Amino acid sequence: MTSRDSISGATAICGLGMTELGRVYERTAADFAAEAVLLALADAGLAKHELDGLLINAGISQGVDLSLGQTLGLRSLSLQTQMQGYGSSAGQMVQYAAMAVHHGLARHVACVFADAPLVSGQRAGAAYGGARARRPGLGSIVPSLGFAGPIPLYALHAQRHMDLYGTTQDQLGAVALAARGWAAKNPRATMRDPLSLAGYHASPWVVAPFHVLDCCLVSNGAICVIVTSAERAKSLARPPAYVRGFGQGHQLEWNDSQPSLAQRSSAAAFAMARCEPRDFEQAQIYDCYTFTVLTTLEDYGFCKRGEGGPFVASGAVSPGGSLPMNTGGGMLSSYYMWGMTPISEAVIQARGDGGERQVTRNGLIAVSGNGGIFNHHATLVLSPHS
Amino acid sequence: MMDPAEKAKPYFEAAARGALALQRCAACRTHAFPLRSRCAACGSTALEWSESAGAGRVFAHGKLSRSSLPELEGKLPVTLLLVDLDEGVRIPARLAAGESRAPRAGERVTLSFEHAADGTPLPVFHAAR
Repeated sequence: MTSRDSISGATAICGLGMTELGRVYERTAADFAAEAVLLALADAGLAKHELDGLLINAGISQGVDLSLGQTLGLRSLSLQTQMQGYGSSAGQMVQYAAMAVHHGLARHVACVFADAPLVSGQRAGAAYGGARARRPGLGSIVPSLGFAGPIPLYALHAQRHMDLYGTTQDQLGAVALAARGWAAKNPRATMRDPLSLAGYHASPWVVAPFHVLDCCLVSNGAICVIVTSAERAKSLARPPAYVRGFGQGHQLEWNDSQPSLAQRSSAAAFAMARCEPRDFEQAQIYDCYTFTVLTTLEDYGFCKRGEGGPFVASGAVSPGGSLPMNTGGGMLSSYYMWGMTPISEAVIQARGDGGERQVTRNGLIAVSGNGGIFNHHATLVLSPHS
Repeated sequence: MMDPAEKAKPYFEAAARGALALQRCAACRTHAFPLRSRCAACGSTALEWSESAGAGRVFAHGKLSRSSLPELEGKLPVTLLLVDLDEGVRIPARLAAGESRAPRAGERVTLSFEHAADGTPLPVFHAAR
């Protein structure tokens, strides 16, 4: 057995802290972050002095940094840094925390994401590539063309999928409807009103093929998870979510002629966990856009290349389907905490805390994180069993 | 550090002649976009300017209907393109005004220029004939 194999199941998420999430104004990201860490400690039944690792991921508002350690009065840190891989950051933090714990650098590592881009009275999209100051030189060309922020680039990739594989607008809509179906069962979700396909089509266009409802929410708040050893986790307050496998992939840009970053990332994670796509009971997939879900389901092997649309439209990932996905409503309907949205939901499910949305809890959970314009990817395989 | 406007001057000079200037590595001949100070393929800093032949394939397209960008006020919708130039770089562009149909992924397109309200030359593409 290689050392890479032996880390499978050797660590676990033992604490989860979620602040109020969504349209919560007049609070800073740093304050959300501090609260999330304290909530996670209390959840795990850990004292503050036992926290010896702190990994921090600041969202788009860049409102939290290394001063968080001072804010919290943490005196026992042997590990602390800020990390950035955009939507893959949260999955990456859990991976580095697992390695640090496994190799004895720290015993309890908190991984926290915090953001507060929403300002009362301001458009939600303003934080992400809305109106921005004109840049000199070639920097003026791209926005003058109409490319501002990530939405146009993701929308164009979605249209390419439609051109190549016949993916339809209704199939993109099916992703939004599935998310809303789950969100209705999550008391924390921002958008819980029922959504019909007609309602989806009536949503305004942003960049075709994306309607507003193809794009995730923007949310204020913070989520923290604490990673410790499997042994230690068993003696703490809540049921462990074991880290069975993980992997990453990074690439310059989308390239159809090579395995995608999500394929490489999931292949590494599934190999570590010694599992295959058919072994998963549920998936928590990074859904910054409806299209991101289709391509990730294909990359992870839950369906064939090009068949993500029909797979989702069949109801497979909706409540009652064969692969329950984004059971908290995802970023499309619940809250956008970058990679912490899928991770937190996986922990809730692994513990059996899902209430009305709980699926059976004896299986593996695939968790994805996607950053940049398909530039960074992190995969976790979590499970209630070691 | 060269001033960004100064650094991009060759782009604007070429555009005035209807040509698309691209950086190219003098050592390994790899083209670059966006602007770089070091070749991503071989690491050389010997980057020079060359002119694209102005032909490529559509990687993807999409119709922009809503934007907070002041320069697009009154101009929407427009069709955005990502074009894989034959030189091996992917650039953002738009479908030329007057083109009736958006070319699908993989279709051949050719380059010309249109101008933003402030005169900025923008690369646009036509279906190849």
